[in-house]
Amino acid sequence: MAIASPSEDQDSHPPLGRLGRLRATWIGPLTLLAPSGLWLVLFLVLPTLLILNISLMPGLRPGESPIGYGLGNYSQVFNPWDAAFIPVYIQVIGRSLYYAVTTTVICLLVGFPVAYWLALMAPQRWRNLLVVAFVLPLWTSSLLRSYAWSSLLRPSGILNSFIEWISSIIGVPLPTQDWLYTSTAVLIGLTYNFLPYMVLILYASLEKIDRALLEASADLGARPSQTFLKVTVPQSLPGIAAGCLLVFITSMGDFVVPTLLGGASSMTISRLIYNQFLGITRNWGLGSALSMVLILAVSLAIALLLKYGDRDSIAEA
Amino acid sequence: MAQTVSLHPVSTASTPTLDVELRQVSKVFDGEPAVDAIDLQVRQGEFFSILGPSGCGKTTTLRLIAGFEQPTQGGVLIQGRRMEWVPPYKRSVNTVFQSYALFNHLNVWDNIAFGLRIKGLAKTQIKQRVADALKLVKMEEFARRHPKQLSGGQRQRIALARALVNRPAVMLLDEPLGALDLKLRKEMQVELSNLHQQLGITFIMVTHDQEEALSLSDRIAVMQAGKIAQVGSPSEIYESPRTPFVADFIGDTNLLQGQVDYWDGQVMRVKTTTGLTVLVQRSPDPESLKQVVVSIRPEKIHLSQSASDSGNCYSGFVKHKMYLGTHLHCMVQLDNGDSLTVLQPNRTGNQLAVETRVYVHWLPTDCLALAA
Amino acid sequence: MPRKPSLFSRPSRRFNPTRRRFLQGTAAAVAGGALSNCRGGISDVQSDDTAATTGGEGDAKTLHIYTWADYTNDELAAKFTDKTGIDVVVDIYDSNETMLAKMQAGGGDAYSLIYPSDYMVQQMIELGMLSELDPARLTGMENMLDKWQDPVYDPKNVHSVPFSWGTTGLLYNKDAVSGTPEDWDYLWDNQSDLARQMTLLEDVRETMGAVLKSLGYSYNSSDPDELKEAYERLVEIKPALAKFMSFGYEDALLGGDLSIVMAYSVDAISLTLEDDRMEYIVPASGSSVWTDTIVVPTSAPNVDAAYEWINFMLEPEVSTFAVESLSFATPNAKSFDMLSDELKNNEDLFPSEEVLAVCEGIAPLDKETSDLYDEYWTQITSA
Repeated sequence: MAIASPSEDQDSHPPLGRLGRLRATWIGPLTLLAPSGLWLVLFLVLPTLLILNISLMPGLRPGESPIGYGLGNYSQVFNPWDAAFIPVYIQVIGRSLYYAVTTTVICLLVGFPVAYWLALMAPQRWRNLLVVAFVLPLWTSSLLRSYAWSSLLRPSGILNSFIEWISSIIGVPLPTQDWLYTSTAVLIGLTYNFLPYMVLILYASLEKIDRALLEASADLGARPSQTFLKVTVPQSLPGIAAGCLLVFITSMGDFVVPTLLGGASSMTISRLIYNQFLGITRNWGLGSALSMVLILAVSLAIALLLKYGDRDSIAEA
Repeated sequence: MAQTVSLHPVSTASTPTLDVELRQVSKVFDGEPAVDAIDLQVRQGEFFSILGPSGCGKTTTLRLIAGFEQPTQGGVLIQGRRMEWVPPYKRSVNTVFQSYALFNHLNVWDNIAFGLRIKGLAKTQIKQRVADALKLVKMEEFARRHPKQLSGGQRQRIALARALVNRPAVMLLDEPLGALDLKLRKEMQVELSNLHQQLGITFIMVTHDQEEALSLSDRIAVMQAGKIAQVGSPSEIYESPRTPFVADFIGDTNLLQGQVDYWDGQVMRVKTTTGLTVLVQRSPDPESLKQVVVSIRPEKIHLSQSASDSGNCYSGFVKHKMYLGTHLHCMVQLDNGDSLTVLQPNRTGNQLAVETRVYVHWLPTDCLALAA
Repeated sequence: MPRKPSLFSRPSRRFNPTRRRFLQGTAAAVAGGALSNCRGGISDVQSDDTAATTGGEGDAKTLHIYTWADYTNDELAAKFTDKTGIDVVVDIYDSNETMLAKMQAGGGDAYSLIYPSDYMVQQMIELGMLSELDPARLTGMENMLDKWQDPVYDPKNVHSVPFSWGTTGLLYNKDAVSGTPEDWDYLWDNQSDLARQMTLLEDVRETMGAVLKSLGYSYNSSDPDELKEAYERLVEIKPALAKFMSFGYEDALLGGDLSIVMAYSVDAISLTLEDDRMEYIVPASGSSVWTDTIVVPTSAPNVDAAYEWINFMLEPEVSTFAVESLSFATPNAKSFDMLSDELKNNEDLFPSEEVLAVCEGIAPLDKETSDLYDEYWTQITSA
């Protein structure tokens, strides 16, 4: 024991060589980064790789062993020359894109004036209160909000009662409609759900615009409409990009609204994926392939967001 | 050719003598008057400065002229036309903002061309005028840069060019040099002055820097708490301030509170509260004065080892001394306890050590009695 | 007759649990979407004996049950706890497939008992997910009606104990429809009048089965031509459908926004009891008869407590109490005898033998046929 101790000593204090120093400078930051890195690997990278792996097993169902490995699932969705090709999948992806893009456009068209008013015209002392009021709906579950819409939109619902009331007042018969379980209902629900995000991001972006720029524009002879187009919009472009991409991403992947408000003809990619895993069709292979398509679309949008979006505005929102 | 010589063709026909006129203009924010019933007349082609400490209402005055604010009361006239309800984009003025307010989504060229494009000028004309403006501010090589890639002084020039290119009747400059360091500021002062001479248009500049105002302006309006304290040429303002505030704000001065003791129509004798007797020979309205403040500029005071009979002479000792290169700045404590600031040219014999006993003296014509 | 009020005095009872169930189900589905990939082994998705995610399974005093909404309630659980000293924790699922996915992903290892439907029992047996039950430890199996002594989905009840049964049919508002619906054809005959006022179940086997029945084929047809015909008939009616939905139609039906819906008897009956305008029929050309069972998964902890619960539910008194408070049909002959005449004679709850004669149980399909069903279902629901 007494003899062993010196050699132990030597081992435990190796000379701090180049490698040792390198390690010393790296070890600090690494230990700090480790938890988040581990988190990312465990809950983002690994699951995504797992989904990718399953998506490469054609038609894999739970409890079955995979038959082969390849692009069969993707080919079933995208390749018209594949015998297993079913055009409805592309149709569903197209519909989801349509919902997401339309929602984004409506949110922008509705949200911009609201954000503009909040940021540049509303009385200063009311501003915070108004912003909070606008965000208030976000404090309840989107499930409940969407469910509430179903009672507004049904044929005997409040929307139609309102239309009838209006037409009784103006004396002109206005058409009432069965709104519920239609694409319109889905778009209304998605817009309602994601409009606050758009407004918040645009508000943060518009609020940051230096008022002097707007004055400078007027000073140089620009009418308010010209100032809006030539200064306000370009200045808030990063915010617009951020808001649009965020709404696009979230509405593309939304499950609740199309499920609750959509009808017999409003299948979306998120519902389709759900059906592959927890629903009736139970095709994990195909479900994973569809998930990869969704992940890819969303990642692309996020990449664009990081490149062109106004990250400060998102952070503030 | 003619275009390069002047961006603003001087029209000789029916030119009103006043470019900008303010008549009893008030502006109230939340019950607080920022500008309080002021009258102002700016003549065509002059370099006019509005000078005052921060919060005196000078920027608000400028914004009233530009049209960013509407007066609560009174009228603004530009070239003889009343400006009520005329929005900024319809006024023949252009502003250089304190923050420059350059459009960071546009490059230098597009920033300068902004106003011309709004006016719908022909492309060739825009090109010519933007190029001229860039040349005028010596920024030809920077046309394709973005504002972010420019230094403060360069941005300043672009902001100037962006306003000038529109050939306004009046240029409004809001603390145009405030963000620049001292050396750059001196340079730009010269350039501003040159530009003004070259273009011949009216400049109205807001500044809190009295030196800048003195060196650049044809006339200066000194503002205090929303009112105009005095309007006049730099030398009038400096030599004959009408109020203690103006005297104090423009340059350094020594102020002594006191009471008129004797007045013979030429010389006034003032007993200060601290017990000095001061002879004064200048005052804006000597007859009515009772309670007065006597203002003596530091450079008008002489120091000497022996007493003098120049009118006002007191003994004391040098309490502080500051070496300024061209001048020596001394604080002299008089025997009665008053302290006076004295500025002496850096000349042989003037280097007095601290604690040296000295006499301070000045002529009655070198000090001024103002109503307290 | 003291029992009668227990069914009739709760007019709105169905609403709240149903809506809650609906929301819970959807919320679970949403959460499930995010959590569906918990376990790694894909080819071997079946759960092994490692610890479950829910926790508490090692506690012999707690029994975790995974079941449908409305198949147990606090009163029942309290009675059980009083009797055995075992606490009961109940989790809810809204479809057999959701339950299966969770069990397969290893998220259900805490459950000692689950309540799959007939075809799912068979599927889970094939997947090796169900324990064989020890007949010696079950008391009261002899009370089962003959039909459930040897069911097709689980011969001799080796793996499962029949718990409840019912039919699938049409639930309608008699004030809103013209004539009296008697068969599936009614939907096709009146599709223009009732456009967007009808729904079919969001369930491939039930809906495809109903269409097959309406064409005179078996509910479990595996003939590709018959399936194609059924698909085309479904395409024909699709524009008139408001939606494919299994839950959540109650408000709309009572409010007049929907007129006729395809429904499970267990959901339909409560509505007919609550509102006189509501009628339920088992279509004349036949429908499905389904059975929900109690099973013990192979991953089950605390098997002794599981047996205690099964035996508790097999007691005629308990079973009767459950039926009366939860309104489902029991396969237990003894507890049926103990029911009030009112319930016994309720044809919606206990259809006549003639009606049942044309009905079929849903049978599992071979893989090719199952794929074909899925493909048609995807086409019809996604297009």
